[in-house]
Amino acid sequence: MSNTFLVSVAVWILSAVLHFRDDSELVDRLKRRDPHAMTILYDRYGRLTYSVILRIVRNEGVAEDLVQETFLRIWNRIPGFDQQKGALGPWALTVARNRAIDYLRSVEGRAGETAFELDLLEHPTLFGNVQGGMLTLDRQKMLRDAVERLSPNQRLVIELAYYEGLSQTEMAARLKQPLGTVKTWVRSALKMLRQELGEAVA
Amino acid sequence: MTHEEMSELYELYALGVLDGEERDEIGQHLSTGCEVCQTGLRRAAMQNVAILAALTPEAVPSGRVRVRLLAGMGIAGRTWTWLGWAAAAACLVAAAWLGVRGSQMSDELTAARQQAALTDHELARVRVVLDVLNAPDTRAVVFGQEKHEPPKGSVFVNPHSGVVLIASRLPQLAATQIYEMWVIPKGGAPKPAGLFRATAAGTAIHRLEGPVDVETTGAVAVTVEPEAGSSAPTSTPIIVAPVAGS
Repeated sequence: MSNTFLVSVAVWILSAVLHFRDDSELVDRLKRRDPHAMTILYDRYGRLTYSVILRIVRNEGVAEDLVQETFLRIWNRIPGFDQQKGALGPWALTVARNRAIDYLRSVEGRAGETAFELDLLEHPTLFGNVQGGMLTLDRQKMLRDAVERLSPNQRLVIELAYYEGLSQTEMAARLKQPLGTVKTWVRSALKMLRQELGEAVA
Repeated sequence: MTHEEMSELYELYALGVLDGEERDEIGQHLSTGCEVCQTGLRRAAMQNVAILAALTPEAVPSGRVRVRLLAGMGIAGRTWTWLGWAAAAACLVAAAWLGVRGSQMSDELTAARQQAALTDHELARVRVVLDVLNAPDTRAVVFGQEKHEPPKGSVFVNPHSGVVLIASRLPQLAATQIYEMWVIPKGGAPKPAGLFRATAAGTAIHRLEGPVDVETTGAVAVTVEPEAGSSAPTSTPIIVAPVAGS
């Protein structure tokens, strides 16, 4: 095989992948209740959602169940999704995270105390205005680097918020720290990450 | 809370981890349709996703997750025949190879482009040099053969095309120095014949363009000069090639 041929094949594959990443057609098929669109949806976002859920629940069996729940939820709620504005991946990721946090809260007996209507916070309209560069590999690397620069306490509270769904009051109780101190760690950490994302989020 | 105070809490609100009072206040404010806060909340929701995507270590779900999900929706999973597996394996190998090869090819392509640009220039020079070397009226002089120390090479003098010097084993010079070629007439003062540098390997090809009176030329020499060159030699020549017939 000549190098020219191989380059042509590589370009063709790349074009196909880039085309595949446009979710608008997929959303349209899901809205038309095309069951095979679910296959594409899972193949596209199954690994990412599973990764987030597993990181939260730390149990493969539970994570698998929650992945299934996540995709069924997306299937059921896709009629409310605006494919002209929507970002399917971020929405799927949020639904996955919320299913896992919901599970964690229920097994830890926190559901009755601090449970919040996560449902409202995963409404598809929340994931409408996003610029394409936000989730690029470069941007992710910058974010990871920014997290590396956080102090241990800042990083700890970020993980408690994102992966355990703890409120600042719950963090203070768990860490045995004054609430004001925890709030300072949380807000300063978020400020750093917010600045790192800069103008990528509209 | 002011908008600014609320803007610091959007991420926590979107994560569902804001404590009661603050959560309620933001919730009530959002319900008024405040566009500033709606935009802020969307931004926070997307930031949360970006942070999750960036921080979460990648894990691979078992194949049974896909099968269960699709079966639960009445969609049959793919039936993988041995041919399918073979094709998939071949695709994986090809994709992996293409990935690695693609990266290599990109580097090679860049290097090749640079080399090609260099080669075009070098090729033009070599053609001119070959023309001089092949001309029937060119006189060739070998130098350095009798010496144990470098440099060694040849000088070609053509009455119409000029002088070509091909040298090897030239000493490396300081950055402030340069080689200068001289054409020395019989019984006359050396005439500057151009500046040149050697390659890292100590080789050089230098050409003086224009007609040369071979019969009156006594020698071609090379000295080490300050980098701006000199109008007359300032050091002992390291190459002296007596032009044959002189």
